[in-house]
Amino acid sequence: MNGATKATEPPGLSPESRAPSPEPCALLVEFDSPGALLTAAEQVRDAGYTKWDTHSPYPVHGIDEAMGVRPTRLPWLILALGVLGCAGGLLLQWWTNATDARQFGFVPVNFKGYAFPISGKPTFSLPANIPVIFEMTVLLAALGAFFGMLVTNNLPLFHRPLLVQPRFRRVTRDRFFLVIDAADPLFDAQRTAAWLGTLGGAPAEPVEQPESPRRLPRAVGIGGLIVACLALLPPLFIAKARVSLSTKPRIHLIQDMANQERFKAQQAQPLFADGRELRPQVPGTLARGDPGAPGHEDPHFYTGQTGEQSSSFAVPEFATTFPPQVEITEPLLRRGQERFNVYCAPCHGLGGAGDGIVAQRATDLGTPGWVPPSAIATDPTVLERPHGHIFNTITNGIRTMPPYGDQIPAVDRWAILAYVRALQRSQQARLEDVPAELRPELR
Amino acid sequence: MNPAASVTTERRRMGGGAARVAACAGVIGALGLAAGVLLGRRAGWDAFFRSYLLNYCFVLSLALGALFFVLLQHLTRAGWSVSLRRLAEFVAATMPLLAVLFLPLLVPLLTGMSAVWAWASPDAVAQDASGVLRHKQPYLNVPFFIVRAVIYFAVWAGLARYFLRKSVAQDATGDPRLTLRMQWWSAPGMLLYALTATFFAIDALMSLNPHWYSTIFGLYFFSGCVVGFFALLALLAYGVQRTGGLTQSIPVEHFHDIGKLTFGFVVFWAYIAFSQYLLTWYADIPEETAWYRPRQGDTWWIGVSLALLFGHFVAPFVALLSRWPKRRTGLLAAAGAWLLVMHWLDLYYLAAPAGASGLAATDVSLFVGLGGVFVFAIVRRMTRSALLPERDPRLGEALALQNV
Repeated sequence: MNGATKATEPPGLSPESRAPSPEPCALLVEFDSPGALLTAAEQVRDAGYTKWDTHSPYPVHGIDEAMGVRPTRLPWLILALGVLGCAGGLLLQWWTNATDARQFGFVPVNFKGYAFPISGKPTFSLPANIPVIFEMTVLLAALGAFFGMLVTNNLPLFHRPLLVQPRFRRVTRDRFFLVIDAADPLFDAQRTAAWLGTLGGAPAEPVEQPESPRRLPRAVGIGGLIVACLALLPPLFIAKARVSLSTKPRIHLIQDMANQERFKAQQAQPLFADGRELRPQVPGTLARGDPGAPGHEDPHFYTGQTGEQSSSFAVPEFATTFPPQVEITEPLLRRGQERFNVYCAPCHGLGGAGDGIVAQRATDLGTPGWVPPSAIATDPTVLERPHGHIFNTITNGIRTMPPYGDQIPAVDRWAILAYVRALQRSQQARLEDVPAELRPELR
Repeated sequence: MNPAASVTTERRRMGGGAARVAACAGVIGALGLAAGVLLGRRAGWDAFFRSYLLNYCFVLSLALGALFFVLLQHLTRAGWSVSLRRLAEFVAATMPLLAVLFLPLLVPLLTGMSAVWAWASPDAVAQDASGVLRHKQPYLNVPFFIVRAVIYFAVWAGLARYFLRKSVAQDATGDPRLTLRMQWWSAPGMLLYALTATFFAIDALMSLNPHWYSTIFGLYFFSGCVVGFFALLALLAYGVQRTGGLTQSIPVEHFHDIGKLTFGFVVFWAYIAFSQYLLTWYADIPEETAWYRPRQGDTWWIGVSLALLFGHFVAPFVALLSRWPKRRTGLLAAAGAWLLVMHWLDLYYLAAPAGASGLAATDVSLFVGLGGVFVFAIVRRMTRSALLPERDPRLGEALALQNV
């Protein structure tokens, strides 16, 4: 209220009291009803003015037609950006999900896609892509609507001469205004003012160009420049880190799972009476290889080795026979086949030719340190190995092959071995091995 | 000032031709029903009742959409829609008739036909190896189903009659307290509506595949109801104006708003339908994909699915996106007719037996039959009252509606 009473005082702000009246930058007419504003707007429109506007405390129905405002072109911008977001979202997902490092050699490796098969889904599939497409469409369309509205309205506008006009303050309460800009080609300070006086509102009032400079204060520009320079620092640090070497461990903004809070073996721990973090073993616990643990009482069955092992450095003696409790029967071979296909075939291939899917992919990608799996069905070295040696390899692993002793029970390992022998036999078969009634089918 | 005084030249009651329209629709409907029964005797009652359920759900969904519209306008104290509200009240007022038309569907329930609702057949439950039907027996059994149906129709018919009666009573007295009373009842009415419509969708349509479940199904059915109703509303308003009624009370602004709401609910339907599909697709669990599998199985069903995708979403989305077609009453009515067909197809997608390929003769004849009876009931009710709430205190707001 204080500001309003001050505004009605006519001190030096009144145009008449100003000594040399400069050219006004606009003319302002006040109306006291929306109806009067509408009528006046129609007349100004028909008179051919182009740079003018109306102001009211609330949206006035029909003002667009009365002013002859063209329908906004904003929807076209929004549509274009929406379509762009849609296409961009689709392209992004195609690139990241359905292309991989082997394609598009000209692209730097940091910008390559990752075509990983995930739970058997196709790498590129519309149903999965729609949520992202939808969000991207909405995002770009909304940004287009917001910034497009600002730009087409010439916003943000930090200063308008109108806003210092005392009379104009009532536009947020109960008065309606029509303003003609001096930049209008038909504008003539005297004639236009006289004509505006006949439109049914208050007499036209000139709006003066304020004396404040039109340019931004220098401090604002410098401040903006400093902020812009500071904003370049983080990307510069990142760029430097990407191309240089460092001896320090890298900074984890988000901790890896390995770096979690945990107790360490030799720490003190007040939770327990003895103050030790490391708990003693439960009585009766057996370590692997202890007397009494599995494998100790029957090394042939559990390790594939015969004879006493004096030390772990001694050259092992491998069994050349299956242990007595493993009987070679058809069910055992079928079990072996089933286990082989589960555990071994991914690398060694279903036929034992060393062409499993993992091996193929690792070879394709050129994974460093990868040793191709043996073609166990044909490789002469493997053919000559005693049973116990291959059993030992399954149990303890070799080269890049991990040990399977913990995952596959001993009896299944023997079954797998039996099946491996059958595979080898199938690759070395002679004509006599084929049953007589099937021989005509051979070529 | 009486706002109604500002418009005087339009006709606010149905003309003499309305009785003829009602009679025609009634005769066509009766013929359609008779043809349906005859075809059903030849083709087998399984197909007949499936077709009856499909077409029954179609007309019911339109009345449910209308009831939603009426409740929503009171709940939000809407002023713009007053001149359209009576049309929706007429459509919703078919509820008592729809309750009667539901009775034939008790036949497959009580005789234990497994082709419609498998859970209603003791044999099917006993032979179900998965045990799922037995597990669902406490909910999916015939007596409880009938109890629930009684509750649904009591709620719907009660609400529809209440809102039409109070509104018509206001035509005579002009009492603004009636508006406040209707406004008060709209809130509990909306809650009851949400629960009953959801459970009806589960009972009547989702339980056609009793092994399957989808937690969004009720909303899916509801979104279709509203799309169907707005399509019908555009057609009704257009039809009333073509016969010379309400030419000033329903200006192009109202058509524009109907178009906007149609557009919004078309998108909502697609959003819900896709939400159900995406989760099923991604989880890839057999008990959920079993429902989609036959619906993507052969050429016919792939065709139906694609027709829904493009006809129920893409085409109306593009057609109704801009302002221009929404302000052409004829175009909007044409879009309404198109969307009604698509809404029917949507219910076919939900209700038709998965093994079926192509339309059955009973599907078409019962569509004509139940559709005819439905139109008959609406038009006959329209001849008995004014076509808009003439003395509603917010009518002035509706007449002054402008889209900025």
